[in-house]
Amino acid sequence: MKTIDYSFRKKLNNVLGGSAHNYCYQCGACVGDCPAHNHLPEFNPRTIILKTLFGFEDELIGPDSIIWNCTNCYNCHERCPQEVSPIEVISALKNMAIEKKTNPSVVNNIVDRVKKSGLTVTMTELSAKRRAELKLPKFTIECQEELDKLFK
Amino acid sequence: MKFTPFWGCMISLKYPQMEKAVRYSFEKLGVELNDENRFSCCPDPIYFKAADKITWYTLAARNISIAEEHELDLITMCSGCTSTLCEVNYHLKHDQKLKNKVNQSLKKIGREYKGTINVRHVVTLLRDDVGMEKLKDSIIFPLHDLKVAIHYGCHLLKPSEIMQVDDPVIPSILADLIDATGATPVNHREYLLCCGKACQNNELALGMSADVFQSISDSKADCMGLICPTCFDSFDLGQILVSRKVNKNYQIPVIYYFQLLALAQGASFEDIGLKYHKILPAEFLEKLEQSIAVA
Repeated sequence: MKTIDYSFRKKLNNVLGGSAHNYCYQCGACVGDCPAHNHLPEFNPRTIILKTLFGFEDELIGPDSIIWNCTNCYNCHERCPQEVSPIEVISALKNMAIEKKTNPSVVNNIVDRVKKSGLTVTMTELSAKRRAELKLPKFTIECQEELDKLFK
Repeated sequence: MKFTPFWGCMISLKYPQMEKAVRYSFEKLGVELNDENRFSCCPDPIYFKAADKITWYTLAARNISIAEEHELDLITMCSGCTSTLCEVNYHLKHDQKLKNKVNQSLKKIGREYKGTINVRHVVTLLRDDVGMEKLKDSIIFPLHDLKVAIHYGCHLLKPSEIMQVDDPVIPSILADLIDATGATPVNHREYLLCCGKACQNNELALGMSADVFQSISDSKADCMGLICPTCFDSFDLGQILVSRKVNKNYQIPVIYYFQLLALAQGASFEDIGLKYHKILPAEFLEKLEQSIAVA
């Protein structure tokens, strides 16, 4: 039989935006307007928060977790009468998944790109060509020195 | 009227036609831009935030601290940048503990987030600073008979207590701005639906986009008008993938709002880089030419 894992909940409480999960009373206001739920019924913000209340770590932040299908649209945040903000709890869960290295690789790719170049979108010959065609000023960026110090 | 623009890496490098259109319009409207090249990526509110919220806060606060040096509001052109920079600015202004923590890191590079400026999406600048009257006065070729299907995208409006742009359930700002160009705004069935870009399940993302295309197709609009380069990515290039998946041939041109505005202010198709768009049916270009010619 599964029992409530309070240690997982304590860990979640310490991640920014994670502690609000405690206030969820499972009304389901977040579900009706969730576009991810409407297209993929397994994705359900109410049951995701229920699992956090139970502390079901493996289901929430194990490999291929459903949480990575959140649209980040904030509809649940707008609807929640308890100010749980399911999206922020999901985002906190994602931070925990990163520590367990169960996240999709796209996250690491983007973080690496920003650390190394300050950019998410890569500078290419095509972008320089298009900017020139549009008579836009040449794109320059000067942040690497500061980023290197921040990430040291 | 002077502001610091935050172009973001997607507009600067992937869709520079959007930057061009904004610059064109601002020149017509007398809005001065204080360009700044020390900004990094905002960083993005989906993946970078998913990796580590504290680092996400710190990099965004660094960007805002640079803008604070100029004592001008920071204007974002991309809804992703808007989401990150508005959210971070709001929380750091309201949470002293978080602000101290972030400033502790920024100290390493001799910076401090102070909380002295506002971050705002560029459409609020049109509505609140330029004003609708002045905007209408700048139009020389009203876009007669052009029906524009509105797409708000998520991060202009929500979280509503942070963004404070418009009613998140029944917004009107984009309809008003499209109306100002002389075009007809169309509030189709799915005008508030998310583009799905953040979802890892590809079927899910394509399904959401397909709903938006069907809704616009049913509305008989001539094109889609939006304000976010990520939504543009989903709907322009994405339209080809969706059409293949649902076995339809959607041909809905996707236009960034400022491209429409710049056209109405006298820009040519070339000026606003329409040729870089994947979905650009000849009949749409003809319709655009006709609607401008009526003036």
